Amino acid sequence: MARLAEFWRRVVFYFQRSRMDRELAEEMRDHLERKAAKNAARGMTREEAVDAAQRQLGNSTLQQEQSRLAWGFPVLESWLQDLRFGLRVLRKAPGFSAIAILTLALGLGATTAIFSIVNAIVLRPLPYKDSERLVTLWTNSPQFPDFNLAESKLDFEDIKSQTQAFEAMAMYRTHGMTLSSNGEPERVVTIQVAPGFLEMFGVRPEMGRDIEPDDEQGTSGSVVLLSQGVWRQRFAADPHILGRKLTLDQKLFTVVGVLPRGFDFPDRDAFLVPLDLSVDEQQRRGYRFFRVLGRLRPGTRLQAAQAELDGIAARLASQYPADDSGIKFQAASLRDDTIGDTRSSLMILLGAVTFLLLIACANVGNLLLAKGTQRQKEISIRSALGCTRVRVVRQLLVESLLLAFLGGAAGLLVAVLGVDGFKALAPGNIPRLNELRVEPAIAWFAFVFASCAGIVCGLAPALHTTRVDLTDALKDRMAAGLPRGPRRFSLRSFLVVFELALALVLLTGSALMVQSLVRTLRVDPGFSTDRLLTAELALPAARYGNQEAAHMFVERLLDQLHARPELSQSAVTNFATLDGMLAMQTFDPGTLGFNEKPTTLEFKSVDPHYFETIGIPLLSGRFFTERDIAAASQVLIVSESLARRYFPGQNPLGKELSLESKRSGSKTRRQIVGVVADVRDVKLRDQARPELYSPLLQQPKIGSLHLYVRARTDNPEQLASSLRQCVWVVDKDMPVTHIESVAAAISQSVAEPRFRTWLLSLFAGAGLALTLIGIYGVISYSVSQRTQEIGVRVALGAPRKKVLGLILGQGLRLALLGAAIGLAGSLALTRVIASELFGVKPADPATLIGVVLSMLGIALLAAYLPARRATRVDPVIALRHE
Amino acid sequence: MVRPASKNELLPGTLEMLILQTLTRGAMHGYGIAQHIQEMSDEVLQVEEGSLYPALQRLLVKGWVKGEWGTSDNNRRARYYTLTSAGKKQLGIEAENFDRMIRAIARVMQTA
Repeated sequence: MARLAEFWRRVVFYFQRSRMDRELAEEMRDHLERKAAKNAARGMTREEAVDAAQRQLGNSTLQQEQSRLAWGFPVLESWLQDLRFGLRVLRKAPGFSAIAILTLALGLGATTAIFSIVNAIVLRPLPYKDSERLVTLWTNSPQFPDFNLAESKLDFEDIKSQTQAFEAMAMYRTHGMTLSSNGEPERVVTIQVAPGFLEMFGVRPEMGRDIEPDDEQGTSGSVVLLSQGVWRQRFAADPHILGRKLTLDQKLFTVVGVLPRGFDFPDRDAFLVPLDLSVDEQQRRGYRFFRVLGRLRPGTRLQAAQAELDGIAARLASQYPADDSGIKFQAASLRDDTIGDTRSSLMILLGAVTFLLLIACANVGNLLLAKGTQRQKEISIRSALGCTRVRVVRQLLVESLLLAFLGGAAGLLVAVLGVDGFKALAPGNIPRLNELRVEPAIAWFAFVFASCAGIVCGLAPALHTTRVDLTDALKDRMAAGLPRGPRRFSLRSFLVVFELALALVLLTGSALMVQSLVRTLRVDPGFSTDRLLTAELALPAARYGNQEAAHMFVERLLDQLHARPELSQSAVTNFATLDGMLAMQTFDPGTLGFNEKPTTLEFKSVDPHYFETIGIPLLSGRFFTERDIAAASQVLIVSESLARRYFPGQNPLGKELSLESKRSGSKTRRQIVGVVADVRDVKLRDQARPELYSPLLQQPKIGSLHLYVRARTDNPEQLASSLRQCVWVVDKDMPVTHIESVAAAISQSVAEPRFRTWLLSLFAGAGLALTLIGIYGVISYSVSQRTQEIGVRVALGAPRKKVLGLILGQGLRLALLGAAIGLAGSLALTRVIASELFGVKPADPATLIGVVLSMLGIALLAAYLPARRATRVDPVIALRHE
Repeated sequence: MVRPASKNELLPGTLEMLILQTLTRGAMHGYGIAQHIQEMSDEVLQVEEGSLYPALQRLLVKGWVKGEWGTSDNNRRARYYTLTSAGKKQLGIEAENFDRMIRAIARVMQTA
């Protein structure tokens, strides 16, 4: 109570300070007069009396000062005073403040943004219950070396019945289906799931019920669950959706439930339907088309589960040698599986942005040092007036903290904008983008970091500047500066060298990435993309399950396409080009007399016009013709590399290859009738693989079709609509998806590396800009320090060129030192990104030399401006200067 | 920037106690308090008179004395300080503490 009252009185007194001050002064004056009167009464003269009274009263200024301390909140007030003064200092030097705040904002904002991204995508657990126990399985089979395969139903059931490590397991597969009951036919993502799929994630439908074991996909239709996104966007969040019938792939599905918001595995906008297994899929162990999810028992480690899976795989291999010999099951945490390759990209970006932050801090430290040096005189005067060093250091620290706070606030803005930008610009294949935001904890951390940076950046200069010899500094600058001669290697120079080295490493990394990207894009894919368009069709099994119907569709579609005047060439194939997917065919080189293990070859079925349409040249033999149909003899066209690999020094034409059919397991022999040039049609960065082509009309089952058309005109919209019309003339219920130019598709295939390279270059550019400011600052300062020296030199007849060289030389020395350290750092660090590079080595001499030279050039440019100022020094003014 | 520079010969903290004690006689202005302390101590306690004022400000803030402007004997404006009830209580505590300390010192001096 008493404390509260005292606090209140302090507040009241604080706001009445000026009145209190006046009254106190009046009181003390009164006191003096009374005392003087008393002294006079004792016989002193008037002057003596006043003097004595004053002496007895003591130092009245000090006493008033002490009295004032009693009134308010002295500690707080002195901090506020520092703060006010700090703000005034910042306002008085707007250029300095702006650069320092922007520098910090840039470094801190970029780091916070990238760290938020890393946190959201890589570090944070998936947003499901006990998500760290969720595991996904892959199969590796010697039949398909180098590939991760899904599971077959029979293997899955064996694993499920034998496992101890998993408490639950479920199968699912992602599928596309055509929704035709909701307006124009549309291709939608459907997930076929086994009962128990949702329970794996601890998720229940928000509305309606889950898929139950009885819900099989019969011919008469089945049930479907809608994801939250589908329900909201396609069905306007219809509250009476349950019980509604949808037509998917010509079959009726009844909506029985809606999934809760935030559940987005494996796709945000999906229709969940029960598993629909063909007879083969149910009975054949080699039909590995199902993704498997498992939930580990609490306390079971992934390694233990893996050991158990190895045992199961070995047992299955000996039990079912025909299908499972040599198989391995790989358990991967669902999170790692979801993140995939994005982790390494993000870690590279995080490393780069940390460098940027260090450069930013060094730069701010440098600016503060420069500022402190300019204020040396002010500080000396304060010290001379009795200000303690602690107080001066505190004042300087408050100023740098103020900068750090403003920089931190601006940095948060940069971070939020940066994360939004990342979300908007990032290529779609980056996982978990929808979870991305700047977390409050990270924002706080950024602020704390800013404060620490403020203290560190401020403390060194503060201690540095306050370590002044009073008399020296207060004397003439001439006396203080000259005897020491040109400044030795100062803290500031050290910081600039540090910045240069970091910026060089950043630049090298980004230059290597840029070159990789350019070289990737320069790769000749082996076909011509000029005005080439592609589109995708899915042939629903219900309508095109039998071979005749599918072949009829292909023939009628091709007739339509060829009749279009705006399309010069048209072709269809069953697999796309350059979308990262490939069709595989197991091939046993043993059948040709090679002593090698079975391998996989790329295998594509194409119509007769495919090669001419996309521009793959024929090397020998013939293309397919309209006569190569199912009933005719089975033929093949092989790629050049396949011919070289398996028929070295021979003419492959007329030779036969024995290929095992995935479908029936029977072997068919196909005769080679042509050899075509290699293409890179999976990934631009991958070498062309040996490839087989068969006639599309000799393919027993066609699930999806990819159209390739070369246009006569450059009107994408018109072409898209003619493609749709062609398809709809043949089948009005078939959606036409992924209509795009092949050039755009290729560009899309490098979207992720491009984005990453772009960001890295942005960071390198920012780092370079900051370093430039640093060099400029140091050289400018040095020129201003050496004004008199330069004046003397000029007065003694030194030519301007020599002065220019003197200053430039100083900049060059710093740049060379920084470049040397940065070069060493680059050689050590670029090895980290070796796996991300294409067509260029981490220690590429041309790149390194180029980067170092441009760095030196830019450093010289930054030194040139102050150097030119130095040459304009007028000796008369310089020598009179202070 | 502020250095406590009181040169009075008093034990620390005693000045405030002396002021409180002086004010038990009734309202007084600053000069009066100073004169009283000097006279009562037979000029032994040479208070630097000015240091009285910061002490009075502290007592005001603590709420132990109250200050009111009035007219003095020679028709001049002066601030008269009076003891509050909290001040009286505080005086009691300080006097007791002081007493205990003096006795303790005295005991040490006698036995040594």
